[in-house]
Amino acid sequence: MTMSSSQSGRNRGIAEKFRRLNWAIITLLAALALIGVIMHFSVAEGSWLGRPLMHGLRFTAALTVIALIALLDSRIWMAIAYPLYAVGVILLLGVEFFGETRLGAKRWLDLGFLTMQPSEIMKIGIVLALARYYHGIDPRNAGTLLWSIPPLMMTVAPVALVMHQPDLGTAMLIAAAGVSIMFMAGLRWRYIVPAGIAAVAAAIFSYFFVLHDYQRSRIDTFINPDADPLGTGYHVAQSKTAIGSAGFFGQGYLQGSQSQLDFLPEKHTDFIFTMIVEEFGLLGGMVVLGLFGALLAMTMAVAMRARTMFARLTAAGIAVTLALYVFINTAMVIGLIPVVGVPLPLISYGGTAMLTLMAGYAIVLSIDLHRDQSSTRGFLW
Amino acid sequence: MSTAKRDLHAVFNRRAILLSGGGIAAMGAITARLAYLQAENVITQTYTNQAQANRFDQRIIAPPRGVLYDRFGEVLAVTSPDYRVTLVPEQVGIKNLEATIREIGLILGLSEDVVVRRLRDARAAKRSDVVIIRQSLRWDEFSAINVRLPDLPGVRAESSQIRQYPFDIAFAHPIGYVQKPTQRDVDRVLATGDTSRAVYYKNPDVRVGKSGIEINLENTVHGKAGWRMVEVNAAGRVVNEVGGRTEEPIPGGGYVLTLDAEIQRAAMEQMRGQSGACVIMDIWTGDLIALASSPGFDPNEFVNGIGQQRFKELNEDPYKPLFNKAVTGAYKPGSTFKICTGVAALSAGLPDDFRVNCPGFFPFGGRRFHCLKREGHGTVGFHEAMKASCNVFFYQAGLRAGQQRIADVARMLGIGQKFDINVPGVHPGIVPDEAWWKANRDGYFPPGMTLNTAIGQGDLLTSPLQLCVMIARVANGGRGVLPRLVREGPGVPKPVDPPKLNLDPRGIELVLQGIFGVASEPGGTAYRQMGQLGLWYDPATDLVVEAEVAPPGYKQIQVGGKTGTAQVREITAAERARGVLRNNDIPWERRDHAVFVCHGPVHKPRYACAIVIEHGGPKEQYIGGGGAAAAPIAREVMRQVFLRDPSRRNAISLEGVQAAANPQESPA
Repeated sequence: MTMSSSQSGRNRGIAEKFRRLNWAIITLLAALALIGVIMHFSVAEGSWLGRPLMHGLRFTAALTVIALIALLDSRIWMAIAYPLYAVGVILLLGVEFFGETRLGAKRWLDLGFLTMQPSEIMKIGIVLALARYYHGIDPRNAGTLLWSIPPLMMTVAPVALVMHQPDLGTAMLIAAAGVSIMFMAGLRWRYIVPAGIAAVAAAIFSYFFVLHDYQRSRIDTFINPDADPLGTGYHVAQSKTAIGSAGFFGQGYLQGSQSQLDFLPEKHTDFIFTMIVEEFGLLGGMVVLGLFGALLAMTMAVAMRARTMFARLTAAGIAVTLALYVFINTAMVIGLIPVVGVPLPLISYGGTAMLTLMAGYAIVLSIDLHRDQSSTRGFLW
Repeated sequence: MSTAKRDLHAVFNRRAILLSGGGIAAMGAITARLAYLQAENVITQTYTNQAQANRFDQRIIAPPRGVLYDRFGEVLAVTSPDYRVTLVPEQVGIKNLEATIREIGLILGLSEDVVVRRLRDARAAKRSDVVIIRQSLRWDEFSAINVRLPDLPGVRAESSQIRQYPFDIAFAHPIGYVQKPTQRDVDRVLATGDTSRAVYYKNPDVRVGKSGIEINLENTVHGKAGWRMVEVNAAGRVVNEVGGRTEEPIPGGGYVLTLDAEIQRAAMEQMRGQSGACVIMDIWTGDLIALASSPGFDPNEFVNGIGQQRFKELNEDPYKPLFNKAVTGAYKPGSTFKICTGVAALSAGLPDDFRVNCPGFFPFGGRRFHCLKREGHGTVGFHEAMKASCNVFFYQAGLRAGQQRIADVARMLGIGQKFDINVPGVHPGIVPDEAWWKANRDGYFPPGMTLNTAIGQGDLLTSPLQLCVMIARVANGGRGVLPRLVREGPGVPKPVDPPKLNLDPRGIELVLQGIFGVASEPGGTAYRQMGQLGLWYDPATDLVVEAEVAPPGYKQIQVGGKTGTAQVREITAAERARGVLRNNDIPWERRDHAVFVCHGPVHKPRYACAIVIEHGGPKEQYIGGGGAAAAPIAREVMRQVFLRDPSRRNAISLEGVQAAANPQESPA
């Protein structure tokens, strides 16, 4: 890389960089957010005011901001990886001791100027921190047991804190992101298999000794939903009723009886996928899953095109996080896994999840834009 | 780039593709699961049915009950629209119940007392039952609730219907009232295996007859329920009517009764403040012109669910307002029974010139049977004995006739017969004879019984209705007329001409002359009340006018009647020795009843009347036996009857009233 090329790169200017943004990914994000707006219009029984408008405005604002952030040099992400992780852990500890309890869970931290959920920071923080770790170590050591202990600890610490809040859904997301990165970084199969067995054993152990009653009851009703059809099983039963009765083309927009008549609870947040299927049928569900699948594939493609280990693992980690969101949410509304309270990214209403995911995609777009940078040396320090 | 690094990139690519594949596969699994749920539904319809069951609710539409009219088309009972606010506890949420009911109370301005009571009702009800918070709302109250409905999940403002009785207390007994079916009603229909009716009874709009005609004609008056399908949301609120999926209710059948509202009201008015009954009947057709029991009660109070306190008050009132004394009350007929004894004795061959010396008592079987006149009537024949109501004469006449013949005649004249006039609780009465004695009493039949029976005391029991039939059957010359309360309507048989009874015409004739003497000849026990009605008729046109003296060419309206005093307690020999207590000196509930029967007009008999005034008047004052307490009431009511002459005026037909109610449907 010569001085002149660097100069010319700078001369090409902001406009050129903007043109070279990954517009395919941006289009996919916008398409999913638009589906969200359309569905919130239906939730609001045909009114643009309130949630549909808010959802659209939030996405537009977030997209503008991330498009600008993406233009920044991607090495900034590596620089903030560890600090962000550290801040995340400190805030999680803060929640543990000073947290605010809402709806029976201590997830919120009041910082005076804003109230936030530190576990959301950790969803991105874990990806950046582990990617930074693997970027820094000798590639020959990446798959070994000894060098896998620090990333494992880095994953377990926030997972334990989030689990204790308790927030099973987010804990699952963080754990899965951490494990996926270790897997893609080259952890050897001979460690993966026994670890998998140990994880299953730990899951069984935690069901009996770690999980809270409400979490256990969710699993219980998942296994036998008829046991409590008006309690925890109600959500899933109504959701399955809506999906089962929808047909291939659905009952039509604004026509879903389960959703429109309020039999379906939490339809604007966790159960919005059910509403999509009820009103647009199996076809609608497949379109949404297809869009997410395409987004996952394109994000992975960004990861594989990137040169540095940090960039590759970060993009892949964000892709995995997105896929997990989608899988956990959709699997839970159709009764494949217990109801754990994970929204459908970009479509469910709610600022936090959208902010987290859009932050992730700011990084992905930035990595894609700066994929030719091979070294991190010389930037910031 | 180092080899290790290049290898690692290769590993990353492989594993990233593996994970992506896993992700795509997971989404495929989700899609497969979606497809599976729908495929399962195509076969079992489980989810469709579940969604439909969630979404649609079959709402019962209670049919309007049939309208009940008096003989001239006055509305006695009608079903009108009603606005009400109801809630379903499980849809409100048990936690929110109190707050919700208080909120409704605030909107409607209900008193704390009512709010507390409704809250108690709602808590006592089944969670899925509809609880009525308030009915008979005014339109503005109804609108006020409607506006607030979105903030009150589980609460409904409904337009419904209510049974109304425009005459309040006047027809409480013959018409009766409707109420919500009780668990007993539900159990009763369940016992017949009619589960759909039992479910229907659970509907809050349903009312069933609880007394009077309303209960006896329930099956035809009720009508057939309809239903409509509505779309409801999760809170149970109707969000949509489902067009086309409706079955209109079939209204209940209407009935025209024989009663004349004017006369019924007059009878109730005349008995005001007293406990008693008044029955007025057409002696040829059996049409009951009045069937009044005093005091009345307001049936409208019962429709809306009478309060426990109020019900207790009515139920424990010593005047027994809830009791239909005209048909359910059973009294000793007293001297009015001498009509039966007279017919029986004359048909047994009592000669025209049979005379008896009355010294004030009659010794029989070692006892003295007393006359009502202590010093005696002297020597009396049949006519004087009837006029003066001489017991001693009728003791001997009774002995001539014998217990069995008296009983037979009494039964022929209607006493001891259970008449079906479409109201519940009709008392059959008691006519004692040897067979009855053997079935109901111990030992041999004492001959002294005949003496008690002859003057209407002892074991005899009759209802005012039976007394009215008795005088009617004598007045119409011995025809077995049957009383009826319903003229026209579904299932009502055509009237038949009353058959001639197997009675001695001479006996009937002499009895009629005797009771004419009682009411219309000076010296008769009811002459003071009935002798001068102040009514006159034109023999040419039968037109009746009211005047102090007879207009030229007009003749006086006269009646025949018989007074009676029904003993409530036996007078013992010891008591008699001390001197019989005056009725005013003993407690009200042990005073004698006043009984009076009459018929008229004598020149062209048409109406019969029977009156019983319990304990001879109000609590404050004992007025007297039949002549004193009952005859004045008969005078006033019969004067109204003669002036109005309801039987001669055209009664309305059911078609007629319905055409009048829906003029647009009647042919031009």
